[in-house]
Amino acid sequence: MKVLMFTWEFPPLIAGGLGMACYGMVRALLELGIKVDLVLPTKELVYFPLREPDDVDKLPAVFLDPQKHTEYVSHKFLNIEERLDYIGVTVHPETYLQLGELKKFVKAIKKEYQREFITQEEREIWEELTTQLMGDEDLFKKVQEYTLRAGHFARELDFDLIHTHDWLTYPAGMLARSISGKPLVVHIHATEYDRAGGPGNERVHRIERAGMMYADRVIAVSQYTAQMVMSHYRIDTAKISIVHNAFSLSDEYHRTKKRIFKGPTILFLGRITLQKGPDYFLEMASKVHKVHPEAYFIMAGTGDMGRELLYKSAAKKLGNKFLFTGFLNRQQVEDILRASDIFVLPSVSEPFGISPLEAMAFGVTAIISKQSGVSEVVNHAFKIDYWDVDLMAETVNHLIENPELCQKIGLEGMEEVNKIRWTDSAEKIRQIYSSTLSEYLKSTSS
Amino acid sequence: MLYVVFYFQVHQPYRLRHLNVLDIGKGIDYFDEHLNSQIMRKVAEKCYLPTNKILLDLIKKYEGKFKVAFSITGTAIEQMKAYSPEVLDSFKELVDTGNVELLGETYYHSLSFLFDTNDFLEQVAMHRDLMKSEFGYFTETFRNTELIYQDSLSDLIYEIEGFKTILTEGVDRILQWRSPLYAYKNYAKTINLLLKYYQLADDIAFRFSDRDWPEYPLTVDKFVNWIDHLTLSEKEGKNLFLNLFMDYETFGEHQWAETGIFDFMRHFPEEILKRPHLGFANPKEAYQLANYQQEALSFPEPVSWADVERDLSAWLSNDMQLNAIETLYNLINLIRQKGDEKLLEIAHKLSTSDHFYFMCTKYFQDGDVHKYFSPYDSPDQAYIYYMNALADLEERLQ
Repeated sequence: MKVLMFTWEFPPLIAGGLGMACYGMVRALLELGIKVDLVLPTKELVYFPLREPDDVDKLPAVFLDPQKHTEYVSHKFLNIEERLDYIGVTVHPETYLQLGELKKFVKAIKKEYQREFITQEEREIWEELTTQLMGDEDLFKKVQEYTLRAGHFARELDFDLIHTHDWLTYPAGMLARSISGKPLVVHIHATEYDRAGGPGNERVHRIERAGMMYADRVIAVSQYTAQMVMSHYRIDTAKISIVHNAFSLSDEYHRTKKRIFKGPTILFLGRITLQKGPDYFLEMASKVHKVHPEAYFIMAGTGDMGRELLYKSAAKKLGNKFLFTGFLNRQQVEDILRASDIFVLPSVSEPFGISPLEAMAFGVTAIISKQSGVSEVVNHAFKIDYWDVDLMAETVNHLIENPELCQKIGLEGMEEVNKIRWTDSAEKIRQIYSSTLSEYLKSTSS
Repeated sequence: MLYVVFYFQVHQPYRLRHLNVLDIGKGIDYFDEHLNSQIMRKVAEKCYLPTNKILLDLIKKYEGKFKVAFSITGTAIEQMKAYSPEVLDSFKELVDTGNVELLGETYYHSLSFLFDTNDFLEQVAMHRDLMKSEFGYFTETFRNTELIYQDSLSDLIYEIEGFKTILTEGVDRILQWRSPLYAYKNYAKTINLLLKYYQLADDIAFRFSDRDWPEYPLTVDKFVNWIDHLTLSEKEGKNLFLNLFMDYETFGEHQWAETGIFDFMRHFPEEILKRPHLGFANPKEAYQLANYQQEALSFPEPVSWADVERDLSAWLSNDMQLNAIETLYNLINLIRQKGDEKLLEIAHKLSTSDHFYFMCTKYFQDGDVHKYFSPYDSPDQAYIYYMNALADLEERLQ
C-alpha cells in the first residue's frame, strides 16, 4: 500500500506537536510496510519517497523536474542540513504562522539595514516595518501555492490513497483527490476552535469544514476532538475514527532527576498562548505561593502572551519564584524536565497534547486539563478542569506536602507512558486505510 | 558673586549576563565581565582620560580658581581598578590638586535609602571609607543615587558625622517661585541644600549636540551670557550658586568629541573668570559663602534628576521593577541573617539602580534615554535575567 501524504510540518520542520506526531506516525506506518510519499512546504518542487523506517531521518528527496533532480543527485552535501537547505526546508520553531520564507525575508531585509552604527531608534523603525509587511496573507498565499503543487503530485505519482494533516494541507488533499480519484483521509490534530479558544478565523474554519466534508474518512486524535468535530463542524459521525497520538522517547535521553532548585519545581511547558492556558497556571502559582513560598514555577516556552504573562506575574509579586526560560531547544527541554517535580497542562482546549506524556516519561507528576485528548490515554495523572484553579492549587499543595506520593505517582506515570507505542496507533491507521480502500473499490466497481 | 558649581557623576554598574533558568545552580558569575570591561575601556578612552586631562590642565592654568566636584561610585572604582587602572590614577592626580571635591554617596549607587535604612547607612559608610583609602579624602557633601532626595534623607545624613551639605534636583514643584541659585537648608534647618539648575545643566548634558534645538550650536559665549543674565541679585551683594550637575560621561561619551564638547569645556572657565562677578566653587564651600539667611525647603515626597517627571518612576513604576527590588531587599535581609559576606557583596552589586532602570517601560522621550543605556534588547529581558540571578542567589544561600 502506498500513501500520498501532505503535511505542513515534519522534523526538522517543526513548530509544535504536529511535526512530531507525523514523524512518529510515519515511522510506525513504514514499519508496517506501508510506503509513504511525503509532501512538505518546501521551496523546491520535491517529494520525499519514504520506504524504510529510517527514511524519516534521512528524508530522501526526488525533484519532479528530471533535470533538477539530476543536478540534485550529483550535488555533494556535507551534511543533511545542507541538503535540506538546498531543497528549501527551513526550520521555524517559533509559531505555527511564522514560515521559513518569512524568516528569510526578515533576514534579507535585516542584512540591508543592519549597519555598524545603526541607532536603536532606526532599528526599531525597520523592525516595525518588517512586521507590518508580514501577515496572515502570507500564510494563505503559501497555502495557495502548496495547493496548486498538489496537482503535479496527484498526476505524476502512483498511490492508493491520500492522507493530509490539518487545514493547511486539506486543500492540497482535496485537489489531489479530485485529480486522482483516490480516497482522501483527513487527520485532525487541532481545529481552529482549539487554537483560538472560540470560533477564531472564519476562513480557516470554512477550509477545515470543506476538507472534512470532502474527505472519505476523518481521523481525530482524541474523543475530545471527535466531539468538537461533530458539534462545531457537523460532520457525519460514521466518517470519524479516533486514533490517539502516541509517544516514543529516544533512548538517548537521560531521564534521571537532576534538580536545579532545592524547592519543589512546577513546570509549564509549551507555547505561551491562549490555547495552552498560561494565565491559569499563573493563577494557580499565585495561590500555591501563599502556602509554599519555597516552590518554584517555571514557564518554559515562547508565545504571543509571553509579555502579558511576564507583567502579570510581576504584579502578583511572586518574587523570584516565577521564572521564564524563553525558547528551549531539545536538550534544554530535557534539562528542564529532569529538574521538575510537577507538570501542569492547563490547556483551554487541547485536541491531544503530547507534552504531558513527555513529562511523565521523565517521572514528572502530571496535572492535565480535562479539556484535552491526552487525558483519555493516561490514568496515572491528575485530571482537572482548566478553569478550576482552586482544585489545581490544592492538588499541587498536596503533592508538595507529600513528596513521596508525588514521586510514586510520577514513577507510575512513567511506567504507563513507556507502554504507549506508535505501533498501536499505526495499526489502527492501517485498518482505516484498508476499510477506506475497500469501500472505495466497492463504490468504483459498482 | 555667582559661583558655578560643577559636580560630575562617575558611575558604571555591573551589567548582568543573559542568565537562563538552566544556568541556575551552576555557580555561574552573574556579571558579564567581557561587556563590563569593554564598556569601561571604551568610556575610559572616550571620556574619563581625555576629560580628566582637560580638567587638570584647567586647574593648573587658573591656579586654584577653577574647581570641580566628583561623585565616584564604588562599582566604578572597582571596575577602573580591574579594567583601566590608569583612569583611577588620573582621578587621584586631580584630587591631589586640592581643587577637586569628592562627594559621598552609596557605594553601590543603590536605591537602598528607599527600602532598607541599615543597608543604606552601611553603603554610605563603605563609600566614605573607599574615598578615604583611595584618595585620602574625607567627604563632607552627600548626593544620593540619581539625586533622589526627600526630607527623611536629610535626617539620616545629618546623623552621620561630617556631612554638612546635600545635593539634589531643583524641582519646580518644590521651588515654585523660588530660584535654585540660592543655597537652602533642609526642612529642619540642620543641613545645607544645593539644587541643580536643570535648564542650564541639561543644555550641556542633553541638548548640546541636538540639531533640532533652537539654540544649537551652544557656544561658550552664548552660555556665559545666559549665566551673566542670572546675576540680578548680585547687586544686593548676595552670593549665588549655579549648580551644574551632570553625568561625567556627558563629555566624550553621551556627547561625542566631534560635537565640540571638549572645546566647550576647555574655553568655558576662561569666559567665566574674565568677569569679576563670576567664579567657581565647590559644593562644600557654598554654605560658608552664603551671606544670607538660608531658607528651609521641604521635600515631603521623593524627587530625582531623572526624566521629565523628576521622580522615582524611572526605577520604580512598573510591576517588574517593584517585584524585582522588593525581592532583592528581602533577600539582602536573609543574607544578613545568615551573615554570608560573599553573597552580600553580590546582592549589593545587584542593588545598583541601573538594573531597575533597564526594566523601565516608560516610552516617548525618556524611553529613548533608557534604551541608550541598556545593554539588553528590552525591559522584559532585563527583568528575566535579573530574576534568574536572584533565584540563583537564593539557592546559594540555602
